[in-house]
Amino acid sequence: MGTNTNTSRVRRNGGSMKSTRQWIAPVTAALLVFLVGVTGCQKAEVETAAVKQVVVKTMAYGDNSNQEGINWVRIVNAFEKANPDINIDYEMLYDEAYHQKVVARLAAGDVPDLAYMGADARWGAPWKEAGQQFDHTDYIDSDFYDFSLIPAMGPDGEIYEIPLGTSNITTVLYMNEKLVKSLGFSRPETYQDMVAMVPAAKKAGIEVVSIDGADGWAWGSCYMSAVVARMSGDPQWVSKAVAGENKFTDTVMVDSLSMISRMVDDGVISSKSVLVDYGGNIAAYNNEKALFMVQGQWVAGSIENPEVSENTIMMAWPRLPGEKPATAGSVAAAIQVGYGLTQKGASDPEVRDAALKFLRYFYSEPETTQRLRDGAIVAPILKGYEVPDDLPTIVKRKVDLAQTAMSTDVIDAFLSGDANDALNTGMQKIANGSATAKEVAKQVESLVQR
Amino acid sequence: MKKRVRRELLVYLGMVAPALVIYLFIVAYPVVYSVLLSFSDFNPNRGGVWNFVGFRHYETMLADSNFWYALKNNMIVVGISVFGQIPIGFMLAYILFRKMVKARIFFQTIVFLPHFLSTIVIGIMWKRLFQADGPVSRLIQMITGDPTAQFELMLYPETVMIPIGFALIWIYTGLYMIIFLANLQKIDENLMEAAKIDGATESQIFLKVIVPILAGTILISTILAIAGSLRGFDLIFSITTQGLQRNNAMVLPIFMYQTAFQNYTNEMRFAYGAAISNAIVVISLILILFSRLLSRKRDF
Repeated sequence: MGTNTNTSRVRRNGGSMKSTRQWIAPVTAALLVFLVGVTGCQKAEVETAAVKQVVVKTMAYGDNSNQEGINWVRIVNAFEKANPDINIDYEMLYDEAYHQKVVARLAAGDVPDLAYMGADARWGAPWKEAGQQFDHTDYIDSDFYDFSLIPAMGPDGEIYEIPLGTSNITTVLYMNEKLVKSLGFSRPETYQDMVAMVPAAKKAGIEVVSIDGADGWAWGSCYMSAVVARMSGDPQWVSKAVAGENKFTDTVMVDSLSMISRMVDDGVISSKSVLVDYGGNIAAYNNEKALFMVQGQWVAGSIENPEVSENTIMMAWPRLPGEKPATAGSVAAAIQVGYGLTQKGASDPEVRDAALKFLRYFYSEPETTQRLRDGAIVAPILKGYEVPDDLPTIVKRKVDLAQTAMSTDVIDAFLSGDANDALNTGMQKIANGSATAKEVAKQVESLVQR
Repeated sequence: MKKRVRRELLVYLGMVAPALVIYLFIVAYPVVYSVLLSFSDFNPNRGGVWNFVGFRHYETMLADSNFWYALKNNMIVVGISVFGQIPIGFMLAYILFRKMVKARIFFQTIVFLPHFLSTIVIGIMWKRLFQADGPVSRLIQMITGDPTAQFELMLYPETVMIPIGFALIWIYTGLYMIIFLANLQKIDENLMEAAKIDGATESQIFLKVIVPILAGTILISTILAIAGSLRGFDLIFSITTQGLQRNNAMVLPIFMYQTAFQNYTNEMRFAYGAAISNAIVVISLILILFSRLLSRKRDF
């Protein structure tokens, strides 16, 4: 009995020792993690205590694989090194993810101090709705920025953001001149000249005009904005329609929408374009699978094939059938987006001054020149800026286009919500033959009226 | 109350309270907020005061053709999940369990592999497959001999859910296969041996022995599938492009997202979006209750 008792005691003790061993390892590990964390925090606190930092919470635009994002990271790192008392605490997002996050952050009350923003219906709407637009006029240096190149963004000439450059042309027709010449043609003067290229292009297995028709916005921003201004002869036809002075069911709009089916029927735009997305469009042009490409001026920097880039002409659409002389050769252009302080950021003088200091660094001449070289902007907004002579050919051509072409309204700078969505989707339906111009026009007008 | 009981209660509360607080803050608070928001005209972006508007947003939602279209697509997704993923997953699990194929581990891994990938990555991958002159179009061109042929199912509302359904089955079948396989492995093999000795065929063993035993698992899988289908957003959002394709494939969570986060012309869009999200929850509950009711009637 005694032996048994002793054995069971030993077993219990053995079990206890075993269980002690079982929990001692994880507890030691947790303790180590805790100690490392505490030590790390203390170290960080010591470092922070040495230099009191002003934190500027920022929403940046770009991603780690594009030039915009790469430049942003480089600029922030260099700025913070030169200004250890300022911390640009940023979140960088691109494309739809950026727009989603802006709305989510504003709705949650997590307002950044500084953000990439615009002043129109697409890029400015969430900031305007949240009452976060801040007028920079009295805070930015008129000796540094050329105010004559910064358009008014509010009813009293307010400047809600500092544009990266002058007007943002959205309806550029990129032409691979060498490819066009190889088929025996030259720069088209009329739409019929483009139609004449169709048989030769088909024979060569390439498209005449490539457009990222799978993206609804491309039809509105990059195509229809130019066409409706041409057909109406009124550069402000869209803004007037949104204001109720014109109707989307007017003959002008129906004729403009009908141009889509005409272009598809003529073979100028392929019906498969509704399956081509943004990246696919640029890739097709880069790989010489299309004579022309429809996109905005910002894409110039994405033409990475040096031969294609060198041979690219950036032009307005040639004369369209039925267009009015008043807007001949015009392109649609919106106010360029850029960085701006929010009301929240501006409310704290320390944060405001730190952000403005950073903006001056961000918009400095070397960085602006880099942006110009990258093809991200049309022309700088800096006072007394001299354009370097050694700019890439495509950039020089972009500047030429901006200086010579008349600017007209960009649709989604004025039209938003359901109506804009219906217009963009409607144009995709026209392109694939599942809706008529009249049907789309009627639907858009009914949504504008609602 | 005895001192010891009180002390035990305090210990109990001390242990439960942190998790409860986190749960209430992360889960319960947004749910209550969403319900309240759906009966108001409040716009969190603008701030201001809350005004009670009754069932206005729910009435708008029921009168909106987009809601019914999105619901129809959601029901298709539910159908694909319940009548596609679960039976296929079950069949695959049974084939593996009964050792009807060689290299079982290989097949098990291959079928389950998509579940390890991010849904967004999967969506983008399928989008690339379906794009103009993409791999699927090339295949069609090769088969038909027509160099202009394209895969166009994503462009039409009548056909858009076919490729999406295919992708859904590809992603989630592996999950149900693993669930069924794990439960099959718990079944006493003697049962099947006994059935075999009694002269039961393979299909009889499956239908008369296996299916009834796994009825509970089928029910749980159905509930998981319904819940997953109704909240499914990421795959359909990433597999489609903005505009026509996404509108064609619109499901309730995308309808809610577009309403609440993109339609700036509607000042009450957040409240309307909250009403849609609450409707999703209610529809989920109805479907789950229906499946439970069905299972009870069949003595599952």
